[in-house]
Amino acid sequence: MKSSVKSPARRSMRESASPWAACSVLILCLLPAFLSAQTSSSDKPVPILTGSAGYFTFVTAGQTQLNAQVNPVILVPLGDHWLVESRAEFQGAFQRPPGGGPFGGPVNKNLDYAQLDYIANPYLTVTLGRFLTPFGIFNERLYPIWIRSLQQDPLILPLSAESSDGMMLRGGFPVNAAANLSYAVYVSAVSTDHNNLQSDRSVGGRMGIFLPGSRVEVGASWQKLLQDGRTNAFGFYSAWQPQRLPLNMHSEYARSSPGSGYWVDGAYRLSQLQFWHRAMRRLEVAGRAEQFFSGQIGSNAAQALGLPGVNTREGEFGLNYFLRDGLKAAVSYGRQFSSDGNSNLWTVGIAYRFALPLGRVGQ
Amino acid sequence: MRLAIIIAGWALALLSVMGVAADSPRNNAPTTPVAQNSAQAEAMRFEGEKRFRANCGRCHAAPQKFPPRMMATIVRHMRVRATITDEDTRLVLFYMTQ
Repeated sequence: MKSSVKSPARRSMRESASPWAACSVLILCLLPAFLSAQTSSSDKPVPILTGSAGYFTFVTAGQTQLNAQVNPVILVPLGDHWLVESRAEFQGAFQRPPGGGPFGGPVNKNLDYAQLDYIANPYLTVTLGRFLTPFGIFNERLYPIWIRSLQQDPLILPLSAESSDGMMLRGGFPVNAAANLSYAVYVSAVSTDHNNLQSDRSVGGRMGIFLPGSRVEVGASWQKLLQDGRTNAFGFYSAWQPQRLPLNMHSEYARSSPGSGYWVDGAYRLSQLQFWHRAMRRLEVAGRAEQFFSGQIGSNAAQALGLPGVNTREGEFGLNYFLRDGLKAAVSYGRQFSSDGNSNLWTVGIAYRFALPLGRVGQ
Repeated sequence: MRLAIIIAGWALALLSVMGVAADSPRNNAPTTPVAQNSAQAEAMRFEGEKRFRANCGRCHAAPQKFPPRMMATIVRHMRVRATITDEDTRLVLFYMTQ
C-alpha cells in the first residue's frame, strides 16, 4: 500500500540532508571491502543478467488487455560474502478506449528492489537498500511470471507493501535434524516522492518453520505502519510439496485495516501419467481458490490500493505447458463473484526466463 | 538527520571491516564443498539433489544446470531470497555444479 501524502516535517528533514553526501559516505565506507573482495579465481561467482519476459492477453469481464512485460534482474557478487541485486519491471498494459479504437495505454516502470546483501555468517544476512517486503510468500518467492502457476495476482496481494526502503536482517538455519527456521525483520525508514521508489514507513517481520522430511513450511508475518493510521497487518502462510507426487501447494492469509482474505493454490505436473508421456511430463494443471473481505475503508479507497471494492470470491483453473527450460505457455479461466457483478477472467500468454553471464564463465 | 547519517556511516564502516575480515584465509565462506573421494562425492551429490528438491522445488521447476560460476551467483541469490540454510546452500551448489 503506497501512500502519496507526505507530512511537511518529513519533507523538511529529507530536504535538509544531501543525498550526495550520504552516497559518498556509503561508498567510502564500503570501498575497502569491495576492493578486497575482487578476486580472479576461476570458480568465483560471476555477475549475471537474468529475469523474465512475457506477453499475456487478459480478458476480464469482456474487456481485453494486452500485457507485455520485461523484468530484468542484475546479480553482482562481490567476494565471498556480498551480493548486489536489483530487479526492475517494465510493463505495458494496452486496452481499447471505451468508444473503440486502437489499443493503447501506459508503460509502467518500477524498481522492485535494489539491495546490497552481506552474508555475515550462517545465521545472518544484512540487507540495505530497497527490498521486497517480507510479508507472506507470494511477493518474495512466487511473484515472477516464470514461477507463478497462475498469472493473475491474488486478490489480497496489495494488503502489504510490495517494496520497502531501509534495512533488513534475515537468515535461515537448522534448529534440529528435522526442522529449519527462517526469519526476516526489517525497518522501512525512507519514503520518497519519486513514483518508482515509493515506500511506506514501517517495521515488520516474518518467521517460518520448514520441515524438510515432510516438505512442509508454515510461517507468520507482521507489519506495522509508522505513518497515517499506524495500522497493523498480519498473515499466515503454508507451503507443501508431497514426496511422492509432483504437486506444489501454497496458501496465504492476510488481514489489515483495508480488508482480509486468503488464497489456496495448487499445481500438479502430469509427469506420472503413463500415456502421452513426452507431452504430459511438460504439462501442469493449476488451480486457485481465494476470497477477499472488505475492511474499514471505502470502496474507492480500496480500489485505489488495487483491492476489490466489495467482498469478492474467485476460482481459477489453468494449464501450463513447459516448452523448454524457462519457457512456458499458460492458459487459464477464472470466475469472480461479487455484489458488483460476476465476471469471467481469461488469460493466455507465454513467459520466458533468461540468464546471461556478464563475464567469463569458462567451460 | 546528521546524527542518523553518522550512525549509518559507522554501521557501514563496521560492516565493511567485517567483510574484509571475513575474506581472510581462515573464514568459513559459503563455497562449494570438496569431496575427498568418489564415494563421498556421490553421497554429497545425492544429498545435494535431495536438498535441491526440498528447497528449490517448493517454488519452481528444476532449471537447467548453468556453468559453475553462474550457479555460484544464482545459489547465493537464492540463499538470500529463500532464506536457505548455509549447509543446504553448499550441498545444492555441489549438486548443481557436478
